[in-house]
Amino acid sequence: MFDFKVVTNWIDTLLLSFLPGWAATLVECVLVALAIITLYAVFAIILIYMERKICAFFQCRLGPNRVGKWGSIQVLADVLKMLTKEIIDMKNVDRLLHKMAPFLVIVASMLTFACLPWNKGAEVLDFNIGIFFFLAAGSIGVVGILLAGWSSNNKYALIGAMRSGAQIISYEVSIGLVMLTMIVLTGTMSFSEICQQQADLGWNIFRGHIPAVLCFIIYLIAGNAECNRGPFDMPEAESELTAGYHVEYSGMHFGFYYLAEYLNLFICAGIASTIFLGGWAPFHIPGLDGFNHVMDYIPGAVWMLGKTFFVVFLLMWIRWTFPRLRIDQLLALEWKYLMPMSLVLLVLMAICVSLGLTF
Amino acid sequence: MTLDNIKTLEPSQLREEMQALKSKGFDYLSNLIGMDWGEEEGLGVVYCVENTQTHEQAWLKTATADREQPVIPTVSDLWDIANIYEREAYDFYGIIFAGHPDMRRIFLREDWVGYPMRKDDKPAEQNPLRMTNEPLADDTTEYTLQPDGSLITKKNIIFGPDDYVVNIGPQHPSTHGVLHFRVALDGEIIRKIDPVLGYIHRGVEKLNESYTYPQTLALTDRLDYLGAMQSRHALCMCIEKAMGIEVSDRVQVVRTILDELQRIDSHILFFSCLCQDMGATTAFLYGFRDREKILDIFEETCGGRLIINYNTIGGLMADIHPNFQKRVKEFIPYMRKNIKEYHALFTGNVIFQNRSKGIGPLTKEQVISFGCTGGTGRAAGWANDVRKNHPYAAYDRVDFHQVLRESGDSFDRYMIRLDEILESLNIIEQLIDNIPEGNYKEKTKPIIKVPEGTYYQAVETSRGEFGVFLESKGDKSPYRLHYRSTGLPLVAAMDTACRGFKIADLVTIGGTMDYIVPDIDR
Amino acid sequence: MSNNNYFSGLFFGIKSLLIGLGVTMKEFFTRKITEQYPENRKELKMFDRFRGRLIMPHNENNEHKCIGCGLCQMACPNGSIKVTTEMLEAEDGKKKRSLVKYEYDLGCCMFCELCITACPQGAIEFCTDFENAVFDRAKLVQQLNKPGSKVAEKKPVAKPVAPAAAKPVTEAKPVAPAAAEPATEAKPAAPAAAKPAAPAESAEAPVEKKESNPETPAAV
Repeated sequence: MFDFKVVTNWIDTLLLSFLPGWAATLVECVLVALAIITLYAVFAIILIYMERKICAFFQCRLGPNRVGKWGSIQVLADVLKMLTKEIIDMKNVDRLLHKMAPFLVIVASMLTFACLPWNKGAEVLDFNIGIFFFLAAGSIGVVGILLAGWSSNNKYALIGAMRSGAQIISYEVSIGLVMLTMIVLTGTMSFSEICQQQADLGWNIFRGHIPAVLCFIIYLIAGNAECNRGPFDMPEAESELTAGYHVEYSGMHFGFYYLAEYLNLFICAGIASTIFLGGWAPFHIPGLDGFNHVMDYIPGAVWMLGKTFFVVFLLMWIRWTFPRLRIDQLLALEWKYLMPMSLVLLVLMAICVSLGLTF
Repeated sequence: MTLDNIKTLEPSQLREEMQALKSKGFDYLSNLIGMDWGEEEGLGVVYCVENTQTHEQAWLKTATADREQPVIPTVSDLWDIANIYEREAYDFYGIIFAGHPDMRRIFLREDWVGYPMRKDDKPAEQNPLRMTNEPLADDTTEYTLQPDGSLITKKNIIFGPDDYVVNIGPQHPSTHGVLHFRVALDGEIIRKIDPVLGYIHRGVEKLNESYTYPQTLALTDRLDYLGAMQSRHALCMCIEKAMGIEVSDRVQVVRTILDELQRIDSHILFFSCLCQDMGATTAFLYGFRDREKILDIFEETCGGRLIINYNTIGGLMADIHPNFQKRVKEFIPYMRKNIKEYHALFTGNVIFQNRSKGIGPLTKEQVISFGCTGGTGRAAGWANDVRKNHPYAAYDRVDFHQVLRESGDSFDRYMIRLDEILESLNIIEQLIDNIPEGNYKEKTKPIIKVPEGTYYQAVETSRGEFGVFLESKGDKSPYRLHYRSTGLPLVAAMDTACRGFKIADLVTIGGTMDYIVPDIDR
Repeated sequence: MSNNNYFSGLFFGIKSLLIGLGVTMKEFFTRKITEQYPENRKELKMFDRFRGRLIMPHNENNEHKCIGCGLCQMACPNGSIKVTTEMLEAEDGKKKRSLVKYEYDLGCCMFCELCITACPQGAIEFCTDFENAVFDRAKLVQQLNKPGSKVAEKKPVAKPVAPAAAKPVTEAKPVAPAAAEPATEAKPAAPAAAKPAAPAESAEAPVEKKESNPETPAAV
C-alpha cells in the first residue's frame, strides 16, 4: 500500500529546509486546514447532488438535469445563490447566541471531519484516544442546535431544539456503546491503528462476525439519528415544525446547518467504514493471493471513499423509504431496543474476544 | 328532492321539538342553515336531522322577525356540530344563539362590521380593506336569554395566560391549505385546539345569490377541488329535479363513472398527502404518479384536470371521448396492481402502524354527533354512505358494498380510503362496458328559472355527504343556495380527536380526516 | 408487554421495513416518468378538449362569426369578456350591429365554458395553447378579433339574422368569384363565407377595406 507519509514527510523536510521549526509547523497547519475546508465544501456539494439524484430515482423522477450536463452544476449554482442571500436580522432574538449557533454546528462538524483517516498515513487528527475525541467533538453540535432553537425566540424552533437535544443525547448512548464494543475487539482507540489492524487482519465486520454485524446495524440507525436525518428528522420535521430549530435562519447561516447536515451524514458513514469496513484497508480474501495483490493496487483513499459512499447510499435509501417516527417512538426505539441490545453486544463481544472466538 | 313539508316552529318551541326528535333516533344533524326571508318573516334557521337507522329526514325551520337582536335557542348541546354551524349562522346573519358557549365569528374577521348574507347588508361600504392584522381574541361571549326577553352576556375563556399556544397554520405544510389551528400545548401534548377558519372564504353562497343558475355551476368545482365532479353533480341534480328535467340513462351512468374516478383520484391524493405529512416523501410521489392517469382521463373527456367543469344542467358538457372507455379499462388493472405497492411500502410499515393505530380515535356516537360523514364516519362504524342510503344516478343498479370499520382511529380512516379505491374500481368495472345510448344533454331553455320552492340534494363526495340546499323564488338566480360542507364537521371534530395526543399526531389525525380547506371556508 | 411481544414485534417491524426497502429499490431501477418539458414541445400534444385560452377563429379571409350579440359577456361570471359593437347601416338602409372589439381578459377567466355554450354562432372556442405566461398583467387582456376582420356572412339558409346582409351576396357575385373560387380546395365552407366578404366591406366599412383587401388575395 502507498503510504501517504511519504508526501507529508517530503513537505515537512522541504519546509524545514528554509524555515525555523515553529514556522514550518504553522505553515503545515494552515495547509492542512485549507485542505480540510476545501474537502469539506467539495464533499458537501457531491453529497447534495448525490442525494438529490438518488432521491429522485427512488421517486420515479429524474432529479436535477437542467444546469449543466445531468444537472451536475446545479448544486454549485445553489451554493452561489445561498452565498448571495441576505442574512436577515431578526427582532427579539438573542443576537449573540443566534449568530454563534451555526458556527458551533459547523465547527463540531469540521472537527469530526478531521478525524477521518483518508489513507494510510493521511490522518489529520490522530492520537491514541481518537474515538473518544470524535465523540466529544461531535457533541458540540447539539449545543449549536439547542442554542439555535432557544435564541430564535420561536416556538417551533424551541420545540425542534428540545426534540433534538433529547434525540441526540439518547442516541449518543448507543453510539458510545457500539464504539466501545468495537474497541474491545480492536484494543485501540486510535483511528490509524484501527485501520492498520484491519489491513493486516481483515475488516472488523468479518473479524467480529455476529456481534460486529449487529453493531454495524445499530451504528447505522443511531448514526442516522445523530445526523437528524429521516426517518429520524424530528427536530426539523417539516410537516410538523416547518423547519424546526433553523426556521429563523436565512442566507449562509442556514447554509451552515444545511452543510453540516450533509457532512455529518458523510462523517457518520466515514466512521462506519473506518470502524467496521476497514477504512482505507483493501478487501482481502485469505488464500487468494493474486486477488489480494490486485486489490492492493487500488489506492487507500479510493477504498475509503468507496466504502463511505456505499454507506451513504444505504442511509439515503433508508431515508427515502420510511415515514418519520414520532418523538416518543424515537426514544422508545433507543431506550427499549438499541441501548439494551448494544449492552448485550458489548458483553458478547467481550466474551468472544476473551475466548478468542474472533478471526 | 323538493322540501314541501318543512315544519315551522316558533323559537320557543324549538328546543323541545329538537330534543323529542333526537330521542326518537334523529341523531344526525345534517344541516343547519341560516336564512334571511326578508322583513316579514325575518331571520331564521333551517334544520335537517336524519335518523341514522332508517335514514328518514326531518326538516324544520324557525324564524324571528326581530332584525335588531334576533335570538334563537341553541341546539349545540344536543349535537356537537351545531356549535360550528351556529357560529356560521351568527357570522353571516347575526342570529344570536342563546346558550351557545362560543358566539364568535367563524369565517369573517373578528372586526368585520355587519352580517353579509343578510339581504339588506352592504358589506363593501362598511368594510374597507383593512391594513391591520386580524385580531384574535382569547375569550368569547355566551348569551343567555332571560324570561323577559333581554340577553345576559358572559365571557368564556378560550386560552388562558398559562396556555402555551402554538399556531399551526395558516401557512403550514400539513394543514393542506390555509387552515389555522391554535393549539395549546403541554410539552408535546395537545391540550386544546381552536380552529380559526375563513382564510380562503370567498363568499360562494353570497355570490350565488347574484349569479344565474349556469353561473353557479362554475363555483362548485372550486369548493372541494378533489370532489369537483361530485359537488357539481349534486348541484346539477338539484336544479334538474327542481325543474323536472329527466336526464338520460347515459348521463346517469357516465356521471356515476366519473364520480367514482374522482373518488379514486381524491383517495390517491389522500394517501399521497398523508405519506408526505408523515415524512415518507417517496410514497407521496408514487401516489402522484398514479393520479396522473386519472387526470389524463379527465382531461381528455372533460378538458380540465382539477377544475373539471363537465356536468351541466340537463346532462354533460360534451359526450364522452372515444378513448374514454379504453383508458378507463387500462387504468383499472393498473391501479389494482399499484394499490399492492402502497400496502407494501406504507401500510405495512411498522413506523406508520405505530403512528396511526389507536391515534385520534372517534367513537360512533362522536362521529354522528359531529356529523363526520364519509370515510371518517365509516371508520367508526357509522354506515353513512349517501349512495346506499339515498341512491342517486346509477348507484341503485351497481353492486358494491359500503366499507366499514370499527375503531375509528387514524389507521382505520386510512384503510377505509384505500379499500374504497378498490370498491370504486369495482363500480367502474360494472358500468364501463354498459354505458347505454342516449342524449348526453337534454335541451334546456336559454334562461334557466327554477320554480319557486325549496330543494335539497345530497351526494356522497370523496369525503362525505355534500348537500345542496336551494331556495328559489322563481327567479333566474337562487334566493339562497347553501352547500353542506363535507370538511367543516371534520375540522370541528379535530379538537376532540387530538386532545391528549402529540403534536406529531395532529398531523396524522388531520391527514386521515382528509379535509379540504376551500370546501370548509366556501 | 410480554417478552414474546417484544421480540415478535421487533421481527415484524424489521420485516416490514425490509419489504419497504425492496419496493423503493425496485422503483430505483424502473423507468422514470418525468416528462422533459420544454424539450418535448414537439411531441407534447394537449387533448383537444383542453381549455387553454379563448380564441375567435378567423377563416382565411380574415372573417369571424361573431355578430356582437354580447351573450357571452352576459354569461361570464367574472366579467372577463368585453364586447364593443357599433351600429352600421347596411346598403339597404337596415341597421346592423357589428363587432368592433372583442376583449378577453385571460387573467380573470375561470375557464367555465359558459361563454362558448352561450354563443349562438359558435364564434368563440378554447384553443389548446397552454403557454400563456406573460410578464405584465396588461398583456393578459387580449383582443380576439383580428384587426380589420369582418363577420362572415351565413349561408342563406342559416339564420333570420342574416337576411339583411344576405342580399348583397347575390349582387356581389360578379365581383367575388375570382378571389373566392380558388379557396374551395382549402376549405369546403370557405366560398360561401368568402363571397359576401368583398361587398360587405364596400358597403359597411370603407375605412377597413384598404387593410383587408390586400390580404384576401394573399390568403388565397
